[in-house]
Amino acid sequence: MIRFATKSGGNTPGHLQRTGPGREALAGLALVALPVAMLLMLTLWPTVSMVIATFTVDGHMSTSRYAYFFTDAYSLANLRFTMVQGLVSALSALAISFGIALYLRFSAGRIATMIHALSLFPLFVPSIIISYALVRFLGPNGLFQLLLEQVGFTHYRTPYLTPVGPFLAFVWEALPLPVLVISAGLTQVSDHAVEAARDLGAGPIRILWEVLLPQVRRSLLIAFALIFLGIIGAYTVPYMLGPAAPEMMGVFMQRTLGNLHDADAAQVQAVVLMVISSVVGGFYIATMLKSQGGER
Amino acid sequence: MLQIDTISKAFAGTPAVREVSFTVERGELVCLLGPSGCGKSTLLRVISGLTDADSGSIRIEGADMTRAAANRRPTAMVFQSHALWSHMTVAQNVGFGLRVRGLPKAEIAEKVGAVLDLVGLSSYGKRLPAELSGGQAQRVALARCLVVEPKVLLMDEPFSALDAHLRKSLREELKSLQRRLDLTTIFVTHDQEEAMELADRIVVMQAGRLEQFAAPGSLYRNPQTLGVAQFIGAMNTCTTAVAQGQANWYGTPLRLALPDGEAALLCRPEDLFQDPQGARARVTRVIDLGPVTKVSLMTADGDLLTWTCPREAAPDVDAEITLMPRRLHAFRDGALLSLIERPEPALREGALA
Repeated sequence: MIRFATKSGGNTPGHLQRTGPGREALAGLALVALPVAMLLMLTLWPTVSMVIATFTVDGHMSTSRYAYFFTDAYSLANLRFTMVQGLVSALSALAISFGIALYLRFSAGRIATMIHALSLFPLFVPSIIISYALVRFLGPNGLFQLLLEQVGFTHYRTPYLTPVGPFLAFVWEALPLPVLVISAGLTQVSDHAVEAARDLGAGPIRILWEVLLPQVRRSLLIAFALIFLGIIGAYTVPYMLGPAAPEMMGVFMQRTLGNLHDADAAQVQAVVLMVISSVVGGFYIATMLKSQGGER
Repeated sequence: MLQIDTISKAFAGTPAVREVSFTVERGELVCLLGPSGCGKSTLLRVISGLTDADSGSIRIEGADMTRAAANRRPTAMVFQSHALWSHMTVAQNVGFGLRVRGLPKAEIAEKVGAVLDLVGLSSYGKRLPAELSGGQAQRVALARCLVVEPKVLLMDEPFSALDAHLRKSLREELKSLQRRLDLTTIFVTHDQEEAMELADRIVVMQAGRLEQFAAPGSLYRNPQTLGVAQFIGAMNTCTTAVAQGQANWYGTPLRLALPDGEAALLCRPEDLFQDPQGARARVTRVIDLGPVTKVSLMTADGDLLTWTCPREAAPDVDAEITLMPRRLHAFRDGALLSLIERPEPALREGALA
């Protein structure tokens, strides 16, 4: 507002003087005050008070709740299961979407357009729908099993309620983001840059490894962080499709709070997950900042 | 050394290269010259293997390379957009081809150093492509090709994105380097001056066809097709009917030993001279270009003529002068009919009466 006032023609020098940096800073602060206040009140304050609460037992400082979590075999199994599920699903989604992005980069025509559209489709499908669709398709007596039986295969074992169930849903759900960011990265590599490598004797694998991959390395890291964070905090997909034990942290937390009414234990689980998320989030921010500073 | 035999290539039914054949000797620099879209870059890509030919064959030192993949051919290509890999340093870019060939690290470093020295960039090895100027980047691209010691170096308009002054100096550098290394080189350009300065011989291409393959001077003095005559240098073109050894050249009857029919008579601006029996034209513009003066003229029929002459011989604007051709290139249906030296004026009707 003030900036506009100084730019309009008929202002006096006095008017210009009054709009110094201090006033502009104040105006800027006023603009962000509301969201910052919301953040402080609704996120930061509850988080801090919760973290403090997890270290307080009967009015005294104590780490006994964490000691329990990190010695309880079941809690650790759940944490391990969540991390492995996140890692494997995120890496698989990246690998598949890298393949799709490569195909899209070097192909044109109707089939490529169709594959592009299909790979972005999960973006518009809520997790709950994906979960139900997979139950109906891959679950016991689902469409997939019926189709297999039609061709005489009767030994189908459904991935429903096994670690593979949520894995399939996570990968499918996660595809659009890496396809978008890797495709964007690959368009930065000119046809001539690829041809120059081919011309100098490089085969497809070397071109992939030395010419294409380094150009999308950052995109891959960023996509990995975002997918991984989404998966380790997921609730609907593992609740619908995952095994009963071990369970993923989202389900574990909900059950601890909702069924066992053990808010203290649930809070500890939340803090552990939050710390891991912050580490990955920090890594994401560092990569973002580096790519903004490093690009020429 | 390099034999191109009836190579053809079409894209979606549209021919880009049509039955082109020529042979390049060892150590020769041949330019592929022609207007945009004439198929010269396509032909170069066919030679490199980046594009497959539809028919015809390519032999390098006798070995058939027609179906060999790009990474199996003893060629290396410099692209118009230098196509350096932005995440690799200059030294890594240059050493790429050697790494592909599995050379030991020490040998790669040594060869990369030597070739960077050759292109005058020995202290630039650790820089990234983004830190180079256009000319330096193109030199790195050249070094990247030279280091793998290709049998044929292919260059696709490598200097066309650079400014005129830089192009000229890089052209000279390239020529001396090419001579020194005795490197067989195919250089694509649409710039006549560049082709004339660089090439030992020039392939002039038009609409996918090879029009003429000759030394630069020969192309200029003895164009074999109308297309080459009109593409290389300036020409005054007069289309006229020839009957009984006589033709009307800008209103002046000339005696020409040509078969009857339509003919295009082409004359270089420097091949005109003032002669009282010549074609009458009015001077519309005089441009002093320094070494020569360019005179634009218009005949009574509205035809435009260009004459280049020494400055002291230049007429004034609006003067009426008469010009005769010293040499005429006569074409019919695009092909050369005859090159006529000192055409003589025919007797005008009633001149003897």
